[in-house]
Amino acid sequence: MSPRDRRSFMGSVANGLQGAALASLFSQDFYGRHAVAADKPHQSVRRAFDLTPKQTHFKPRAKAVIQLFMQGGPSQVDLFDPKPELDRNHGKSILKDIAKDLSSPDAAGGLMRSPFKFAQHGQAGTYVSELLPHLAKHVDDIAVIRSMFNTHQNHEPALFKIQSGKLMPGLPSLGSWVTYGLGSENQNLPAYVVLDSLEGRLPTNSGQNWQSGYLPPLYQGTRMRSQGTPILNLKPETDEPSTVEQLSRDLLGRLDRMHKAKRPGELQLDARIASYELAARMQLSASDALDITQETPQTLEAYGIGEKQTDAYGRQCLLARRLVERGVRFVQLFTSGQQWDNHSNIGTSLPSICGKTDLPIAGLLADLKQRGLIDDVLVVWGGEFGRLPIAQMRQGNDMKNAGRDHGPPGFSVWFAGAGIKGGTVYGNTDEIGWNAAENRVSVNDWHATILHALGLHNEELFFEHHGFKEKLTGVENVRIVDEIFA
Amino acid sequence: MPSLPRLIVQSALCAAALFLGVIPPGTASGADDPVFETDILPVLKARCADCHNTAAAKGGLDLSSMAGLRNGGESGEPAVVESLDESLLWIMIEGGDMPPEGQTPLSLPEKEMIRRWISTGAKSASAESSIIVTQHDVLPYLYTRCVVCHGARRKEAELDLRTVESILKGGKSGPVVVPGDPEKSLILKRIHAQEMPPPKELIRAGVRPMESSEINLLTKWIEQGAVKHEIVPDTQTDSPDSLVSDEDRKFWSFQQPVKPNVPASKLSPIDYFVQRKLNEQNLTSSPPAERLTLIRRVAYDLTGLPPRWEDVERFLNDKSDNWHAKVVDHYLDSAHYGERWGRYWLDVAGYADSEGKRSADPIRNHAWRYRDYVIRSLNDDKPYNQFLLEQLAGDELYDFENADAVTDEMMDALVATGFLRMVPDGTGSDIVDTVSERFEVVADEIEVLGSSVMGLTLRCAQCHSHKYDPIPQRDYYRLVSVFQGAYDVYDWLKPTSVAGQSKQKNPTRRYLTHVSNNVETQWQDDRKPMERQIATAQKELTEKEAKFRSQFVDEKLKDVPAELHEDIQAMLKTSKKERTASQRELATKFESSLTASAADLVKTYPEFKKLKASSDKSIKDLQAKLPAQPMIRALWDRGEPSPTWIFRRGEYTNPGDLVGPGVPSVLTDGKTPFVTEHLRPGSTGRRLAFAKWLTDSKHPLTARVIVNRVWFHHFGRGIVESLGNFGKTGVAPTHPELLDWLAVSFVENGWSFKWLHRQIMLSETWQQSSTLRPESEERDADNRWLSRMPLRRLEAEPLRDSLLATSGQLDATTFGAPDGVTVRDDGLVTANRNEDGWRRTVYVQQRRKELPSILETFDLPQMSPNCVERPNSMVASQALHLLNNGMVRGLTMQFAQRIEAKAGSDRYKQVEHIYQDALSRMPTPEESQLALEALSQLTAEWENRLADAEVKPTKGKESPSPEMQALANFCHVIMNSAEFLFID
Repeated sequence: MSPRDRRSFMGSVANGLQGAALASLFSQDFYGRHAVAADKPHQSVRRAFDLTPKQTHFKPRAKAVIQLFMQGGPSQVDLFDPKPELDRNHGKSILKDIAKDLSSPDAAGGLMRSPFKFAQHGQAGTYVSELLPHLAKHVDDIAVIRSMFNTHQNHEPALFKIQSGKLMPGLPSLGSWVTYGLGSENQNLPAYVVLDSLEGRLPTNSGQNWQSGYLPPLYQGTRMRSQGTPILNLKPETDEPSTVEQLSRDLLGRLDRMHKAKRPGELQLDARIASYELAARMQLSASDALDITQETPQTLEAYGIGEKQTDAYGRQCLLARRLVERGVRFVQLFTSGQQWDNHSNIGTSLPSICGKTDLPIAGLLADLKQRGLIDDVLVVWGGEFGRLPIAQMRQGNDMKNAGRDHGPPGFSVWFAGAGIKGGTVYGNTDEIGWNAAENRVSVNDWHATILHALGLHNEELFFEHHGFKEKLTGVENVRIVDEIFA
Repeated sequence: MPSLPRLIVQSALCAAALFLGVIPPGTASGADDPVFETDILPVLKARCADCHNTAAAKGGLDLSSMAGLRNGGESGEPAVVESLDESLLWIMIEGGDMPPEGQTPLSLPEKEMIRRWISTGAKSASAESSIIVTQHDVLPYLYTRCVVCHGARRKEAELDLRTVESILKGGKSGPVVVPGDPEKSLILKRIHAQEMPPPKELIRAGVRPMESSEINLLTKWIEQGAVKHEIVPDTQTDSPDSLVSDEDRKFWSFQQPVKPNVPASKLSPIDYFVQRKLNEQNLTSSPPAERLTLIRRVAYDLTGLPPRWEDVERFLNDKSDNWHAKVVDHYLDSAHYGERWGRYWLDVAGYADSEGKRSADPIRNHAWRYRDYVIRSLNDDKPYNQFLLEQLAGDELYDFENADAVTDEMMDALVATGFLRMVPDGTGSDIVDTVSERFEVVADEIEVLGSSVMGLTLRCAQCHSHKYDPIPQRDYYRLVSVFQGAYDVYDWLKPTSVAGQSKQKNPTRRYLTHVSNNVETQWQDDRKPMERQIATAQKELTEKEAKFRSQFVDEKLKDVPAELHEDIQAMLKTSKKERTASQRELATKFESSLTASAADLVKTYPEFKKLKASSDKSIKDLQAKLPAQPMIRALWDRGEPSPTWIFRRGEYTNPGDLVGPGVPSVLTDGKTPFVTEHLRPGSTGRRLAFAKWLTDSKHPLTARVIVNRVWFHHFGRGIVESLGNFGKTGVAPTHPELLDWLAVSFVENGWSFKWLHRQIMLSETWQQSSTLRPESEERDADNRWLSRMPLRRLEAEPLRDSLLATSGQLDATTFGAPDGVTVRDDGLVTANRNEDGWRRTVYVQQRRKELPSILETFDLPQMSPNCVERPNSMVASQALHLLNNGMVRGLTMQFAQRIEAKAGSDRYKQVEHIYQDALSRMPTPEESQLALEALSQLTAEWENRLADAEVKPTKGKESPSPEMQALANFCHVIMNSAEFLFID
């Protein structure tokens, strides 16, 4: 559409020709930035950004993503990656070989077998530990990658890496890249929604986990809460009659149209009026999306809602489904704080967080399947790293209190949903589960693979910034893990 | 990545052997195999050596000798290795990457020859090269792993591992190195035994054990006799630079700006250059804006606040020809000017009140002094060259350590160095305090410097020579060396510690206490009365405690025979040393039961318990309020920089050549050595020399970059659109002559910002109307030719400040410690209110993880590391904030009350005042009519609600009348209106 067509189009909308489809054009972010093409270094382009659906680079498998982010570092050797060698060498010290890789060698114990039992499940016979009995029923729908690795042993940098591709803060997150690349199917809701835990604590790095970095703020994750006000400032914070609200809106609309009439052709003003209209629609849509009273008791039960242990995460999972169902592109779920950070008492702390999340996740997978959404939604599970196969003894020498320290060199993640070859187990760690050994998958590979599922090519999804084509996968050579796709 | 030694390959060409046809040992097979010197070197000389020779080694690569190939380029990888597929030389040639586009590619036979040569073992006629390991292959690792305890600050076991001499001298246990005998060398024994570095100290010391490749190098160096080779740091000499050519220097922005001629005309130079471009584009400028529009535009441009209506009226009635100049001068003289323009500078400096990087995001105390310095400097119109000099090298300007008294100027200069202390820094946590993380901090500072002041994207050159601009990796590390006197990755000063994550005992190591006498006196004056209060309270408590104690003794004595009472009392009053033998005996028997600690008294006497609790609390409260000792968060040279090695690929575990301080060669003539300047004894003078070079009036970039930035803030786009990138990938200037005229004139006029503002704001270009005309819309849509003024949305700070000012809630207090913020359960962050309202946004705490929501919503960026250009978004969350947020709604009620106080209950007058205060104009009759109708409807709705028995007024709080509610609603609408948010 040329600027002129666009203007007359806007004009007709302002005159009252409104509709959801037309309005979608207005959730725009007029964001002036220079863009430089390598072959035309001195050309300047001012770009406008919006959330309308975008053309993918090739036919996508998935249309939306639900990321079940397990902040803290779930222990692979206790969940998906059984290691008989650990049973055989339980207690053996390997400190001499590994001291330099440890952040706290003082507390390092010997190799530690998993306190939990593994069994094979499903037709594929995927190994899952006894801590995830509900997920175990769905292994034929999921693809486990056992050979992920990250490159830093501390939460903050490792989180920056897994959320945005590099160990440093300030870069756009995966969800921002996806919404930048794909836009959204629903213009009345944020395109990228973050559901943090009702139990209260934000993950480490809090809002930096879903920031948009140098991408326009339009692509930043929006925190939604399932209780109270779902989005900041969604409802008036002082009490007033709804008629007053309506009168004020009408008056504002009139004043703004008078203001705009004297400033013809100013797209910024159209965009601003549109942003107020969107705000109004969002008040209704967001409340509706979050209203789980519309669900049947059976559904609520399947997610574990109403049960003390699973209620909080169950609500998050159910909301995730309700949001992708409404066209939200990227939904990211966080558990409260760092419950996967099992430095001590792994025998009790790991079962606790598994117990909170296992049933709701199984409920989500079943529900997506039952509604046919599973073909369009990619479900991604994992943390910023895994844990080391040795014991960590922070509280004296009693093995009962033992935990495991951060383990970036090798860990497990899984995928389910759109285009995923269920029952796959890809890659392997070494015999003690320390390093990703076979078919190693880097964080950048993992990012490229998720983009690939969405029909985006990691090299072609770029943003011109300070004269450079910035990409989620940076300058790293990446490999898409084709093997997990059907 | 295994590290490779920087080899000196002995390549004495074995000419005799070649001549006699003797094949050197180790090259037994294949007499037909190609040989480097005869078969390969001619090809490389013809095709590659123009760029990759000994004198001009692009990318650090010299392809004119076998040694050069083995050494490889700046990545540290040899160009030729055993496997063909892993040989970089082959990869680049086969992939078509080299020679680069535009150069003659290799012919097929040439390619085949190289392929065959590498496949058959890359034979060379020269003798088997022996690798010599120098001290500079080893020292970087000793610096990384050892010198924190065996170096400048600490010499554990009297051992210093920083130089060959001190290594050979050894420590308490004798020499640590036996030249030629690694096995007998103590240093290797301790390393092999994993005693050094001591495993338990690793985290605290921020080091990790040596890698085996590093140990091998150390072994080899000792084996070869631990010889000190003569290696001097690579610095610019007076012979021409081999890596950057004069051709490279020809790019427009690397050339000194020359002031273009302006023909005599009635047009100002700015208007002349702009008009010329408009004519070329067959465009015309827009008519001048109305006076009211201009007044509001000037006020916002210079102060970020709406003009006061009294001022507007005065300006409107000014009949003089130069009324506009008077308006400009009025706001340039305003103290709010520095708050507005200082904030722009704080963006490029990356100002923050917290350390960032770690989740805890510790607060940076005293950082605010830098913010105040910036605001004051701008208000004083400090020349930009002076402003920069102080920020880059303030600590090297004065001998503040030995001064009799610290003057205000000295203190200012130290505070100014806060500019170099602004980037995110996680090293306050021991676990991420290794050379790698420290280097990130240095790299961020260099990036800030590059993007804010130099207009260069320097970061690329951290890992490899810049791909687009002629900035070799060497030049990047010369800059690192400039900073190494103060920012030394091997000798690090910690930032604020992260609670529980550091065993460091002294958390204030980035602070200086060299405050000026004025500040010191002020602090003492503020402190003394409070200290007296505390002392009084403590004394009172002690007295009361003594009373209870004697009561306690009296009560206890009741159980003791009365005849002993006197002696016991006497014993208790005598100090232990002076007691007689009988008193000592009494003491053994009775003292313990008669002595009462404060805790005993608390247990025994409920009244004392109560009294003590309340007194303790008030003392504690007073202590908390005691003004902290004034300190300066500064950067200062410590005089003993470690050597600087290039980090190949940017990795500290992969050290390369030794370099010395210097500036980017492309911005010099390439043959002027870098000479340090010493004004402060004990300082390296490196940054001072750098700052002097940067602020030289002939510098090609400094003035251009800043005038472009000022222009950008006045017009919404720069003459160079890429504000932080004037290099080859940046955007070319739309008005190159104008840029140069501004740059040169700015310097000629004393680097004065206020001069520059006047030039720009008095131009016809700046005074144009913002109304979009068809020709402008069609042929100058992005306004690059300045055929109008752009309509601009208020940035976050002016918006919030305007809401406060309009509603009469702006606390005018300036400077000092920032106002804190409160984080609500749902994540809403709001700045705290003071007694008289809220202060201007620039005085609100800028904590990285807790930016006030309204600011974040309106694009205040998180500084990581700084912000070169803010985004300007238009999203629904902004509407939601202004419509629904409780604080905004509260302000609208306060605005309404203020209006009622001025205008009484006359609705017509009320509307007039609202328009005057919020929009700097009178309402039109149509608007008045609309407002009056709306007000009466709104009032009716509130009256209805009051009449509704269902709704009960909130208890204990008288709710405002329906009239006031309606007025507040109307104020709310005005504050949400496009006109409030946009400046014409």
